[in-house]
This record gives sequence, structure tokens and C-alpha cells, in this order.
Amino acid sequence: MWEHSKTRNSTWKASSKSASSLKPLLIPSPPPLSSSFSFYTVRRNHPRSAYMTEGSNYDFLFKVVLIGDSGVGKSNLLSRFTRNEFNLESKSTIGVEFATRSINVDGKTVKAQIWDTAGQERYRAITSAYYRGAVGALLVYDIAKHATYVNVTRWLKELRDHADSNIVIMLVGNKSDLKHLRAVPTDEAKAFSTENGLSFIETSALDASNVEAAFQNILTDIYRIVSSKSLEQSADPIKPPTDTLNVSPSVEPTNNQGGKCC
Amino acid sequence: MTARPPPARPHIAINPTTSFASRATSDWGEDDAWDSASDSESPKQSTISFTRPAPSAPRPVPRSISSSSSSTLAFSYTHISAPNPSSYPPRGEVLPEEPSQQAVPNGKNGWTLVRKSHDRTGSQNADAEKPQEANAQQDGDIEGDMILGDLDTEPVPDIALADPHQSRSRADKGTIRPDAEEIYRDPLYGIRQRPPPRRPGLSSVPSIQNRPHIKAEVLPSNDKSEKLMRERSIKTNRRHKFIECLTGQDVNIGELRKLAWAGIPEDLRPVAWQLLLGYLPLPAPHRKTTLERKRGEYKSLVELAFARDREGLDQQIWHQIEIDVPRTRPGVRLWMHATTQRSLERILYVWAIRHPASGYVQGINDLVTPFFQVFLSAYIDSDPEMFDPALLPQHVLDAIEADSFWCLSRLLDGIQDNYIFAQPGIQRSVKRMAELVKRIDAPLAAHLDSQNVEFMQFAFRWMNCLLMREISVQNTIRMWDTYLAEGPDAFSQFHLYVCSAFLVKWSEKLRQMDFQGIIMFLQSLPTQGWGDHEIEMLLSEAFVLNSIWQNAQSHFGK
Repeated sequence: MWEHSKTRNSTWKASSKSASSLKPLLIPSPPPLSSSFSFYTVRRNHPRSAYMTEGSNYDFLFKVVLIGDSGVGKSNLLSRFTRNEFNLESKSTIGVEFATRSINVDGKTVKAQIWDTAGQERYRAITSAYYRGAVGALLVYDIAKHATYVNVTRWLKELRDHADSNIVIMLVGNKSDLKHLRAVPTDEAKAFSTENGLSFIETSALDASNVEAAFQNILTDIYRIVSSKSLEQSADPIKPPTDTLNVSPSVEPTNNQGGKCC
Repeated sequence: MTARPPPARPHIAINPTTSFASRATSDWGEDDAWDSASDSESPKQSTISFTRPAPSAPRPVPRSISSSSSSTLAFSYTHISAPNPSSYPPRGEVLPEEPSQQAVPNGKNGWTLVRKSHDRTGSQNADAEKPQEANAQQDGDIEGDMILGDLDTEPVPDIALADPHQSRSRADKGTIRPDAEEIYRDPLYGIRQRPPPRRPGLSSVPSIQNRPHIKAEVLPSNDKSEKLMRERSIKTNRRHKFIECLTGQDVNIGELRKLAWAGIPEDLRPVAWQLLLGYLPLPAPHRKTTLERKRGEYKSLVELAFARDREGLDQQIWHQIEIDVPRTRPGVRLWMHATTQRSLERILYVWAIRHPASGYVQGINDLVTPFFQVFLSAYIDSDPEMFDPALLPQHVLDAIEADSFWCLSRLLDGIQDNYIFAQPGIQRSVKRMAELVKRIDAPLAAHLDSQNVEFMQFAFRWMNCLLMREISVQNTIRMWDTYLAEGPDAFSQFHLYVCSAFLVKWSEKLRQMDFQGIIMFLQSLPTQGWGDHEIEMLLSEAFVLNSIWQNAQSHFGK
């Protein structure tokens, strides 16, 4: 199964190079709010600034998903990156959770809108709806639990079925602090990544090592693809991301999520 | 869904009807809770043996590293790894058998860890750092304006414990009631024996909930004492009615529902919940044998489920349960004790393998906790959340576990399609909620729409965990008083109206936020200070919505 999956996923190799349909997913910013939401009517005239979330100023907004088996540390990676917090006593994620942070790439402010998904199989129908419109995915496994690494191929299939074909994927081996319990050799995961066209990093949300780098790397990768694309053709930035994606049958029950549900 | 007249609620003057007295507990549906005797393959041990304090030892729950293989242990199955008796062990020590996770907190120096006992990410409320503090804060809110559901319980007797077995218990681990043995056999024993509440606040206080009254009594202003007197008389009055209702030879379920809707006194709650759920039979003479039978049945289910080695378990289900049990109410002492965690594992696993269409789904673990805590509270005189259940006699612990299992089963029977493939129950509820909010708060619905916020993005969890991730367990317990009084549909139907009222509560704030602000706000709502009063307001609003819209479904959507 392992070998088989490898070959099936070899199509991922070149995918990140041809960012043909990445464009519609990119939302360039200034002026911040009006641009990203200008296609909706703002019906209220409340002073909005009081409740406006900080970090509204950005040049690029990228939607990224965190996926991987239950208990590999997705939520703590996210909290380490967005709030520099690690919580030993965290509860399981139900459905999806959302967080955001802006970083600097080549002098541009890149804002990451990150959706942290529940790992359990049962939630797949719900969480896969969030792959739509994502330009990046951090696929996380636990270096101390080999089964979570074996499942990486299943997660790649999930992405292939539900996400945009040009999504940038980074394989993340988390819990690198558990050196004495390591069950997945770094070289093996690195080789697998190369073979499947993924970038790769090992992190520890607990001791914070490489967490910043992981997000920085994937956001930079996305930024490079997007900005090189921007030079070629003028932007057609505002377009509902759902237009670009095929919704597979298994998302059928959630198709009321397609933007206008009522 | 059939229309039915609702019971009387607080805040709303609706004349109680007698018709719901005819609503028997069979409303809950004859689920497998009652026919499960048929699936136990081995004939049950005689009920007599079960009533004895020392039941024969069932098999241990297999652990990955446990080397006990299939040998039957001489001691109880709950003591695979005994908790550290000296003090509350940090999480890393509670479960030494999971090195990959547990080794994390140990032995590493110089790391910056943020320990938070509250799950609400980005919570700005520093008061919620510790559960005890959170409770204490709620007390502050309760003080002065809470009338219902906070009835005075009896002072703790100073006398030590009846059983030498219990002499281990110390103040920091909790106190077992001297009449625990009688309560085990007859859940109403404690209620019958207890005199009506005396003046509160004079004695040491068994439950945190009573502390505000002490504070209030130390420095009573005239207004305050008058108010307190009034509240007290209302409470005493309600309490009398409750006791009268519960101690009848044949409990009038209609009357009980009516009373329970407005909140159940803490010490009467274990019995009242079990009656409302149809677990405990309404006619008093049947209760003893039913309890014995159900507890025995559960025990044999456990034995059957864990009859073989770890390899005999459903690996997928067991794996997920193993991951989630240590993450259930993390940081709360009760749930960090190995004894509690083993109980939780058994409850979840047995339920899951008996319901293959859903199996174990994350979030169901949360739903066990109110039952377990409430049923535990019947046997102890201290705060359940601080209690180490290893102190309990084995058969009492087994009874709490069995009662929790059956009551959880009954609750889940009403919301099973929340947890089967693609979770259609939740999809439907979220959709209906969106339609309802469009009707009751059009500006909010329009704003959410304009910001591209989808109900699924926040309300999924509200349905999946019955709001338990949004409000405290104390809040949840109060809420379930009303849900159980509402009847079998409440956890799917009435809950939808509660969620709608809950969302609309924040309407004004939400309408001034953008997409990101809305999602972040709804992910960590400021409910840390909520007490019974806030929950009761919410329930009242939900009741109004329910009365208006429930039978007018053709008016919204489909």
C-alpha cells in the first residue's frame, strides 16, 4: 500500500510549479478591507474600526490549511506560530479552527489565514470543504508515531480530491523534541517529500524549533509563485475561490457551504 | 415532530398543562438501553452478588504497554496504573504508559510552556486560568441574583467515614459521604434522610456553590438580607416540592419535568436526571432491581468488550479514544486521575462498539463528563472536580460508571445522526439555525453573509459538542436540567433554538466585526463568567423562539 501510494502521488511532483489557477485565490490587499470584501455590499454604517481586527493591512492574503492525523500537534503548531503559545492541556479540535498572522516576505506583508482541521476521519466531510481556496497545506505527522507518517499518503489523496491542484504542500514532521522516541527517520521523510514534490521540515511546537521557519517557508514559496505569476499577467484578483474547484461527491452534504448557503 | 404543550418555564407565564403528565419516560424511545440484556452472551451473575461491596474482578482494560496480558487481575480493573497518592501528579505522571506523549513535559528544561486550563484560545479572561478560580468567579455572579437551581445542601458532617477503606481520603482529595453505601443501593436514601435545609452558611460548606451565601451573610446590608430571605424561601419552597415529587411511590414525570425545567437542586440532580432520562423507573419499587440489572449488564458488556487482548479491540476506535481521554477536560483534577480516565475509556469504547454506524466521534468524550460528575457528586461531600475517584469503594465507582454509560446512551440515542457518516444531523441543524437566524435577526444574518461567514464555520462545534466548548461544565449541567425536562428531542431540536439565541446574544458586537473578527470572536466567546442566571436567560429566549417557530417550520426554508 505504501509503495502503491507513492506512485499514485507522484503526480504531485511538478504540480507546484505550474501555478496556473493559483491566481484567483490570491487576494491582494490595499485598501485592506474594501478590496477583500468589495464584492459584497456592506449594509451597515457602524464605525467599524473599534472592532476591526489588527493586521488588516497586508499586501497578500493566503489561505493555508493544517491537516494530518489526530494528535500530531496541528493546533499547537498553529498556536505557537500565531501566539507563541504551547498548551500541554489542549483539547481536541472539533471541525475547524481559525487563526491568522502576518509575516514579511521580500518587504511585502503576507497575511496567512490558517484553518486548523480536526484529524479524525469522521470530520473529513466537514474539513475537506475548507481545502477549497487554500493555496497552501501543512501536512503534519508525528515523528514519534510511525502510523501518522504512513497516513501521509492518504492525506495527499484527500488534498488531490478536494483541494486546488496547484496547492503548495509542505510535509511537517512535528514533535522533533521527542528524539528518544523517534519512529520516522528524517532521511526517509525527506526522500518521500522530494519524490512527491513536497517541501519538508521537522518542527517542535513544544520547544518552538522550526515552527517559524515552516510557516515562513511555505508562505514564501506561495508568494514566489504568486508574484512571478503577477508579472506575467495582470491580476484578476477578486473571484470567489469556489469557482476554481471541483467539488467531489463526498462533500455533497456540505455543499451549502459554497458561499451563499441561504 | 409532534406539537405538544410545553411545561411551565421561568420568566414566562404559561399555565402548566396537565397533558404532559401523560408523557411517560417511554418518550425516550425503547433503545438498546433496555433490551441489551439480550446481547450479553454470558448469563449475568446473580444480582445478589452485584449488590455486595466486593464484586468479582473484571478484566483490565488493555493498555499498549501493560504486560498483564490476559490474566485476570486480582484487584479491580480500574487500577491499572494507580495515581500518585501524595499529591496531584502533573499530567506526565498520570499516564506513564504513553511515553511518546507523556515524556513531553518531563525532563526538558528551559522551554517556555504556556499552561492553560481553559481551552478557549486567545481568551482574554485571566480569571479562567484555573478551574477553581473560574468557579469562584461564577459564584460571584451568582450571588444576589440567582434564585433557581442553587439550593442549599446539608452541611458536611464532621464525623469521619464509615468505612475504614475510605480512611485514605484527605481534605485535598475529597470526602466520601458516610451514607455512600446506602445511596449506592437506593439513590433516594440521602434525600429521605436529610432534614430540610437549615440556615445556610453556618457550617462548613460542601460545595463551592454555597459559598456566596456565607459571604453575603457576613455583611448583610438590609436590602441584601431581605432579598436573600426572599430567595431562600423560594428555594426552600421549590426544594420541598422537588422532594415531595421525587420521594413519591410513583414519580409524576410531568410534575418532575415542570420542576426540573427551572433547574434542579444540586443534591437532587443525580436522581432527577436518571428519572428524566428514563434510566431509573418512575415506580419506586422497581428501582432497586432495575439498577442492579443495568449495572450488572454494563459490567458484562465491559467484560465482553475487553475479553481479549489489546489486539482484540477495534483498533481504530480504541486508538482515537486513547488519544482523546487524556485531552478530556485537561487540567481538571478529576479528569486527570487515572481511575477516571480508565472509566471514561470503558464508557466510550463500549458505547462505540455497540454503535458501529457512528463509532466513537471526538466530542462524545465531552458529553460523558456532566453525567459522571453529577453522579459522582451523589456519593461525596466535596467538589467532584477535585475528587480522586480511586478513593471510592470499587462497587460505587462501578455504579457511577454504569449509570453514566446508560444515561449517555440515552442522550446519544436522540442525536445519533450527528455522529454517523457525513454528520447529517449537524448539517441539518446548522442549516435550520441559519434559516432561523435570518428570520429573527435579519441584520445579523445579512452582515454575516456580507462578510462571507458561513454558519458551518462556527456552529458545527456548537452542535457537535452541544455548546460544551462554549460554556463551562457547570453551565452545561444547568442547561441539561432544562433539556432533560424538555424531553427526548431537546438535544437535537430545542438545542437549535438555544444555539440561535446564543448567537443573537452577540449580535450587536458581531455586526461591527469583519470576517476575521467574527470567526475569532465566535471561537472564544467571553462566557467565562457565566453563571446560572445567564444560562437561564438563554433558555428562556430559546423557549420563546421554540414556541414561535417550532410549529411554523414551513415559514422558514424547507
